[in-house]
Amino acid sequence: MKKGMIKATGPFERVVHWCVALSCLFLCITGMAMMYHSLNVIGTLVGGMENLKVLHNYCGIFFAVSLFFTILMWWREAGLFSFPEDMQWIMAAGGYLWKVEKMPEVGKYNPGQKMFFLAVAIFGIVMVATGLIIWFPDGYTVDTLRLMYILHALGFVVIFAFFFVHLYLVTIGAPGSAPAMFTGWVTRGWLKTQHPKWLKEMEKDGTLIVYGEGKYRK
Amino acid sequence: MNKQLIKLIDLSRCTACRGCQVACKQWNEQPASITHNFGSYQNPPDLEWNTWTLIRFQEIEDAAGKVKWLFRKDGCMHCTDAACVRVCPTEALYHTEFGNVAINTDKCIGCKACIPACPFGVPKLNPATNRISKCDLCYTRLQANQPPACVLSCPTGAITIGDVDTMLAKAQKRVKELGGDANVYGDKFVDGTHVLYVLTEKPEVYEHLPAAPKVADSILVWKDVLKPAGLIAAGAVVAGAFLHYITHGPKTPEEESTCEGGKNS
Repeated sequence: MKKGMIKATGPFERVVHWCVALSCLFLCITGMAMMYHSLNVIGTLVGGMENLKVLHNYCGIFFAVSLFFTILMWWREAGLFSFPEDMQWIMAAGGYLWKVEKMPEVGKYNPGQKMFFLAVAIFGIVMVATGLIIWFPDGYTVDTLRLMYILHALGFVVIFAFFFVHLYLVTIGAPGSAPAMFTGWVTRGWLKTQHPKWLKEMEKDGTLIVYGEGKYRK
Repeated sequence: MNKQLIKLIDLSRCTACRGCQVACKQWNEQPASITHNFGSYQNPPDLEWNTWTLIRFQEIEDAAGKVKWLFRKDGCMHCTDAACVRVCPTEALYHTEFGNVAINTDKCIGCKACIPACPFGVPKLNPATNRISKCDLCYTRLQANQPPACVLSCPTGAITIGDVDTMLAKAQKRVKELGGDANVYGDKFVDGTHVLYVLTEKPEVYEHLPAAPKVADSILVWKDVLKPAGLIAAGAVVAGAFLHYITHGPKTPEEESTCEGGKNS
């Protein structure tokens, strides 16, 4: 670790993130293998489509547990908008699409990240609930079951599209972001650009942990 | 060689002997179920994974107070626009060259999606094998140029099979002969079914027979809208991200990094 790096996430945060992220990705891939006939071939990798269905179902349970911790951990920070600055940010599309002279200062999560969190949280719950009913359909009416399939497909459309936005931004779209979820340490420059308000808050509250200082001194 | 076949069930000729039920079980090697009498000759009470066809018994009273006993041979209608085929994730349910809907049990994964999809309530799950089980119009017999077991067994000629035009003409001729409320059922929806009824009463009179069956709107939204939308939305995001990268450019930190000489507060 380089001197001067700032701690952005703790190990629990990162583990929960990757649990929900990897199970979600696995569910998307296996779900697509069932939705698109041309992707049935993916089933071959796990010994057939029935195995794939079973893996999809049980992975769903893992996802549900991970999602529970994700929501528990992040709903306060990423689930609530703070007005008016978040509205300003949204109206300016976060400064990502056109040149914006004055952007409101972003805290720990920007409204785009909040929207992604809310999409995963809300549609994640929808996916778990509808998935369980599709898995155990006994006792439900035909109309209920038909609705479950629509909602399950709708949840996929939303989450899958958001996934690519997330993937772009944490890789080449906003360089310097990914380490927050790998090592947990980010650069001061990145914080100043992406989350200046958070940086100021941490400095003010004395919660800023800088590598090479205090107990992180080598 | 694309010989579409239609099985015509003329209910005015059915005597409810249930020979077709027995023949179906025998040819398809299906065990009987232990059932309890529920006050009807109808037995078993409903279609099951091991009962692909069933004579439904129904008593109705007409306007004059006269009691009528209706018999209807229930089973897969072999829709041309089949909801079960639309929703099957593995193409286990499919149309054969005869237009009937058959099932490849090796491909079936027991997901049960076809059960609520079917407007007629036909597909059932065999819990022992976790596979869907339903009438395939005796596909192997059709391949051997033989009539389905139910057709062969019918002593009154109520069940017959033949090519589309012949059977449709036959049904219409019979309806004309019968007069009254008699009507042809099966040619007006889901692009036509490969099982045709001559009903002696209006369709809505019969229990468990939808008057206007169709592929549910929910299935069309799911398979014709959301399914492509999943790829279109993701594709649009990927394309948009690339466009963003090459036009607007990434959002890079103002200061390069905190490495060597990085400013510490």
